[in-house]
Amino acid sequence: MIKRVEEKRILMENCVAVNLKTAEKRIFTSKNIAFLKRRYPRLKLRTGEWLPFESPDASIEGYIKKGGYKALEKVLKMKPEEVIKEIEDSQLIGRGGAAFPTGLKWKFVFKQTEKEKYFVCNADEGEPGTFKDKVLLDQSPHKIIEGMIIGAYASGASKGYIYVREEYFDSTRTIEKAIGEARDKGFLGINILDSSFSFDIKVVRGMGSYICGEETALFRSIEGRRGIPEVKPPFPTTSGLYKKPTVINNVETLANIPHIILNGARWFKSLGVEGSFGTKIFSISGNVKNPGVYELELGKFTLADLIYGLAGGIEGNRKLKAVLPGGASTRFLTKDNLDIKMDYKSLKEAGTSLGTGAVIVFDETISIPRIVKHLFDFYEEESCGSCVPCRIGTKRISEILKDIIEPATVKVGNLYGTDGANMNYLTKLKDIGMAMKESSKCGLGQSAPDPLLSSIDFFSNEYLALIKKVNGRKS
Amino acid sequence: MTELNFNKLNNLFLKYKGRGETELVIPVLQEIQNIFGYLPQRALEKMSRHYNIPLSYIYGVATFYKYFTFEPRGKNIIRVCDGTACHIKGARSILKTVEDTLGIKPGGTTKDFKFSLEVVRCLGICFLAPVMVINQDYYGRLTPEKVKKILKRYK
Amino acid sequence: MEEKVKLTIDGKEVEVPAGLTIMEAADSIGIYIPHLCYNPTYKKFLLPSSSCRICVVEVEGMKNLIASCSYPVSSGMVVRTNSERVQKARRVTLELLLSSHPMDCMTCEISGRCELEKVAYELGVPSSSFQGERVNYPIDTSNPFIIRDYNKCILCGRCVAACAEIQYNNAIDFSNRGFRTKIATAYDRPLQESTCEFCGRCVSVCPVGALTEKMRRGRGREWELKKFTTICPYCGCGCTIELNVKDNKIVKITADPFVGINEGSLCVKGKFGYDFISHPDRLKMPLIKKDGKFVECRWEEALKYTADKLKELKERYGPDAIAGLSSAKCTNEENYLFQKFMRAVTGTNNVDHCARLCHASTVAGLAKAFGSGAMTNSIAELEDAKCILVTGSNTSEAHPIIALRIKAAVKRNGAKLIVADPRKIDMVRFACIHLQHRPGTDVALFNGMMNVILKEGLQDKEFIKNRTEGFDEFKKVVEKYDPQIVERITGVPEEKIIEAARVYATSKPAAIVYSMGITQHTTGTDNVLTLANLAMLTGNIGKESSGVNPLRGQNNVQGACDMGALPNLLPGYLSIIDENARKKFADAWGRDIPAKPGLTVVEMMHAARKGILKGMYIMGENPFLSDPNANEVRKALEKLEFLVVQDIFLSETAEYANVVFPAVSFAEKDGTFTNTERRVQRIRKIIEPPWEAKPDWQIICLLSEKMGYEMKYENPSEIMAEIGILVPSYGGITYDRIERKGLQWPCPDKNHPGTPVLHREKFTRGKGLFSPVEYIAPVENPDAEYPFVLTTGRVLYHYHTGTMTRHSQGLNEIYPQGVVEINPEDAVKLHINTGDMVEVSSRRGSVKVKAEISERPLPGVVFMTFHFKEAAANLLTIDALDPVAKIPEFKVCAVRINGVRS
Repeated sequence: MIKRVEEKRILMENCVAVNLKTAEKRIFTSKNIAFLKRRYPRLKLRTGEWLPFESPDASIEGYIKKGGYKALEKVLKMKPEEVIKEIEDSQLIGRGGAAFPTGLKWKFVFKQTEKEKYFVCNADEGEPGTFKDKVLLDQSPHKIIEGMIIGAYASGASKGYIYVREEYFDSTRTIEKAIGEARDKGFLGINILDSSFSFDIKVVRGMGSYICGEETALFRSIEGRRGIPEVKPPFPTTSGLYKKPTVINNVETLANIPHIILNGARWFKSLGVEGSFGTKIFSISGNVKNPGVYELELGKFTLADLIYGLAGGIEGNRKLKAVLPGGASTRFLTKDNLDIKMDYKSLKEAGTSLGTGAVIVFDETISIPRIVKHLFDFYEEESCGSCVPCRIGTKRISEILKDIIEPATVKVGNLYGTDGANMNYLTKLKDIGMAMKESSKCGLGQSAPDPLLSSIDFFSNEYLALIKKVNGRKS
Repeated sequence: MTELNFNKLNNLFLKYKGRGETELVIPVLQEIQNIFGYLPQRALEKMSRHYNIPLSYIYGVATFYKYFTFEPRGKNIIRVCDGTACHIKGARSILKTVEDTLGIKPGGTTKDFKFSLEVVRCLGICFLAPVMVINQDYYGRLTPEKVKKILKRYK
Repeated sequence: MEEKVKLTIDGKEVEVPAGLTIMEAADSIGIYIPHLCYNPTYKKFLLPSSSCRICVVEVEGMKNLIASCSYPVSSGMVVRTNSERVQKARRVTLELLLSSHPMDCMTCEISGRCELEKVAYELGVPSSSFQGERVNYPIDTSNPFIIRDYNKCILCGRCVAACAEIQYNNAIDFSNRGFRTKIATAYDRPLQESTCEFCGRCVSVCPVGALTEKMRRGRGREWELKKFTTICPYCGCGCTIELNVKDNKIVKITADPFVGINEGSLCVKGKFGYDFISHPDRLKMPLIKKDGKFVECRWEEALKYTADKLKELKERYGPDAIAGLSSAKCTNEENYLFQKFMRAVTGTNNVDHCARLCHASTVAGLAKAFGSGAMTNSIAELEDAKCILVTGSNTSEAHPIIALRIKAAVKRNGAKLIVADPRKIDMVRFACIHLQHRPGTDVALFNGMMNVILKEGLQDKEFIKNRTEGFDEFKKVVEKYDPQIVERITGVPEEKIIEAARVYATSKPAAIVYSMGITQHTTGTDNVLTLANLAMLTGNIGKESSGVNPLRGQNNVQGACDMGALPNLLPGYLSIIDENARKKFADAWGRDIPAKPGLTVVEMMHAARKGILKGMYIMGENPFLSDPNANEVRKALEKLEFLVVQDIFLSETAEYANVVFPAVSFAEKDGTFTNTERRVQRIRKIIEPPWEAKPDWQIICLLSEKMGYEMKYENPSEIMAEIGILVPSYGGITYDRIERKGLQWPCPDKNHPGTPVLHREKFTRGKGLFSPVEYIAPVENPDAEYPFVLTTGRVLYHYHTGTMTRHSQGLNEIYPQGVVEINPEDAVKLHINTGDMVEVSSRRGSVKVKAEISERPLPGVVFMTFHFKEAAANLLTIDALDPVAKIPEFKVCAVRINGVRS
């Protein structure tokens, strides 16, 4: 039974751009298009074109009018320990994929005796299918800034960085402008709001590297080095940016902070379910009628509700084949999993992960091996090259998939599989995938094989059909 | 190609002060690429000498990040998105249209230096797939015909 | 109490100190974990990168496998190092690696010590079951030393770390990413177009055959090579090297990271400059000049002829008509015998060696100030100094291994480096202050610094009061040298002088390191005295990581001085005019010792020119290229009635000889060298010399016998035993004691452990002596006719007159000819570009040489090396001498430069 799912707009200011098919209706909450056209003369609402825009409330005046920076005022009257306790009590967990308890992370850094500490916002959002952070950066830059200042105050950091991926050049401008506005009003800088707390934020632009979304690689990138992840331990809370204690939080995680401070941990726990409190912004894309971002309470709806209820169902009313529920580096779900509740625990029990909340939907016209090949083209290019399993593993997997799908393009032809052993390809893929999962140095190598291995589990028939065709051609 | 004016680097070096700190490397490289459109070898050599940072290190950092380029680029940079959402919505055919219209492959530049083509993954506008960006302009829900029309608009 | 951690590994309980990695903990109970990119042997030098993922182990409670080389142990941890799961993961990882690795082990140079081979053997993986694209880089054989085959590279990163963190050179780094990752120089140029200095450290740490020595190609498999330890024959660092030998030929040179003052590091000469030993031009038979041509003959004939001739000259003109040049390249035993031969057998004190040309000022100056003229501290201590003042020393090129210590002090321990040099040398990269003073103005510069120290009260009053004398006289002179005045003399801005003074005086301990730029002046002794003043003023002497540290040039110039191969000093620095000293040696040798001090090197040439000196016996020296004013030297050599030269090649000097004795190289005889930090170390006979060549000590003994004085020694250790009796500071040196590691003199008895730091409680002369020193300008200054200052020196790739390096194929290929360094400002005025041939002329001679435009010299100053006979800088230099030390002013003379129309 597909429920009618209510969006809960706490983090997102306006109803964000979901689908431009009916652009005039959905892109802004204000029904006054004329007003908007006056405000944004360059805005074109012709189908097929879209210009970046700021939400009217992205400016500091708009934000303050809606109660912005009141959480900061409240926090500056509290002790850092009290702030940390509030966040800990709320049981907010990181929204960037790793799902680490935010309050605990802040507490670890708070406890470090080192004077120099850093607070970093990870706005790299490289995971394919994820676009929620961009929306937050475009529409609520000040909320993120406020969340950072509160986090820095609680953990004892004096310098902050927002690391924005290079592809989000317009969002970078927005957040830089917002930082300037915040500084002018005294929310950033020395002695914020006449307290003894000083903090400032610098925006750092990425340079086109997915692996720099990994926390240690991100630090190296800010430090001006190659973005190679480091072994952990030591963890960022003891040795992070410039080898100093560092808090690194996702954009969405930070967007929750002002709300929790103002409304209290108990309010936060009234949303969602045990183990997954609060709301999550889901980015849904792929073969659905209404792709976009939706902010929803965790655990209160199923995958079916999300796909068929909110996102309007599959395009052309076709059949669902598979779903990547948490971004590209998660295990597939199939139509047998439509009843799964969308929260961290349920997805983990089903063998996959909520990840970044990026739901990519594939219908019956999509060839799963091709999608996996597409993903591995991506991983092969983005692998940092430091450890053997990932550097060579992604390359070999990519080659095998190419050999199966596009045999004419393979440089080293005739890889495996003749002499009747159609399973050779799959065995090789599984062996390499498992080795990568077990032995890789960082999360990229450890998670990249998930879509591959799950696709072999659920869709081996598609692979075998392709392999048979290849072998038929060879013999 | 016009003679490069390396005197612009002097202002850049004044803006970023330091000696031997690696954290300057990426912002300075970004600015050099902003000024010249790519990273000329002589500019990097000057940077290495000025900041006392080994040239092999600067080269190693610059070659790691896809954004940095060592070849001069065209006036208009076309970036076609091939993220997962765009991919299943036909990014390949969009890419092929651009390739065929301009006669260049990803990473390449037209002979008249009017266009350069790149493939990127995930511009964060997956709900308007397939998407491409030219300079700072977004174009979504593309079809091959729309692509051809859009390309004509750029000089 | 050190914190301990209890954990379980493969079912065994073990307790280890906290902070250990799993691999170290396993190793402590004898459990071996296969590893590849990290080698525990290099623990001290290179941190693990954890990138091969072969050393992964299972840790209970952790989802993935953990790299044991970097993961720290924790209490209650349960580790399984060899479960099925671990084995499978390792196999697949190894197969993935092998799928991109050339499988040519059968002809790979590294087979037998390849760490990938070892892991594949241990895990039982003969080949890869994965196929796919392999990298296909062209193998780079374009430089003479290192072959780079990056198809075999496993990207462990050890070479990058070694180049950056051991050598501080950063010639290579990782480039690109993913499968395309490649170790590369900037823009992937060949090594010779990067900052690479071919020290070979990267080759020594590479676990596979990606980096190999070109010179060893096809010359032997790893297991066929035998390793023998000896000391490098080039410079005063005295690095310990291993000769890898097969069939009496040296195949390659390596260095053990745990042995010697160099701890596994070498420079290009030590690592690759050994092929001169097997050069076909090696002297094989004695030669006698008959009718203007050299004819080979037997030893008997050559020795008899020489003995007869020397006896004849002695009878006709007296013993002082004969002079001998001993060799700073030969062993202590040989130098001892040589001066004994000259004094006891020939009957003259006319014995000297090339120390006269380099550190005679040091010997004279420090002997006056402290009582002992040697490096006061040790090389290893430099790393812990808080401030190092390097002056007159292009350390990176002249003493690369000592330079590594200075670089480590700066980079690892935050020491402050002050470089005082007229050229912008490589060490300036590490310096916080560069004082670029005009050549010859050193006394003014340092007096200026001391003026500031006194004015600001930064001197060490306690030390001055208790440990020194002569302070008041000295203070009066220094007070005249205001920084303003000094700026005018030296050209160094006032602020820099003040800053340098403050830094040196307040960072304790501070060490002074100096070399030829200080000593090779007509004011060389004064320069040294000034540095001694500076050290005493701030109490920076007599304790670790401080002191006055002259860097001796030759591998055994320190030893040659210790052994008394000097005209005015007997072995152990006893004065020749001291009657008791003469008596001591006369008693030991059974012959009277002449009382009159003899001639020094340059004086010998002057005397020969004048016809006063009739005969010379030159062992292992090449005055034609090494002495100043080479045109005069040539005339002097031509005028001699009899010249006998003993060397391994027919040097430029040997061309003028009447008799040539073929000697052997350092690898073909036993003996000892004393390096610049007074460490006496063993060299060994490892290969057989060519044909009839004999060790120098044997030749001297045979010649001596022919002259009627018996010198019978079974082997050099007997000679050292005799030295031990006569030279107190060598009293405790025996071959047994220095078998594994050298000993630093003073080492008076067999139980003494050697002396790293001199002048601890008191100076050798009692109290340190302050000397009031005034600035005196160099003898020949630029004028309208000769408007440039020529200063001379060395480069990394060649050694002194090139007898060895110019017979080394690779070194000649990399650096084939001399150049003159000209500042860009001057070049513009002269209309000269890099590569143009120019003529450099002085009042004494003229040289045609290639120009190199460089930022290194000051405007108005040009620089040349003395390594190349085709561009012999010493044709131009002046033989004006320091009045006390008699050292020539190599560092300053006046020249003019003209372009040469081709």
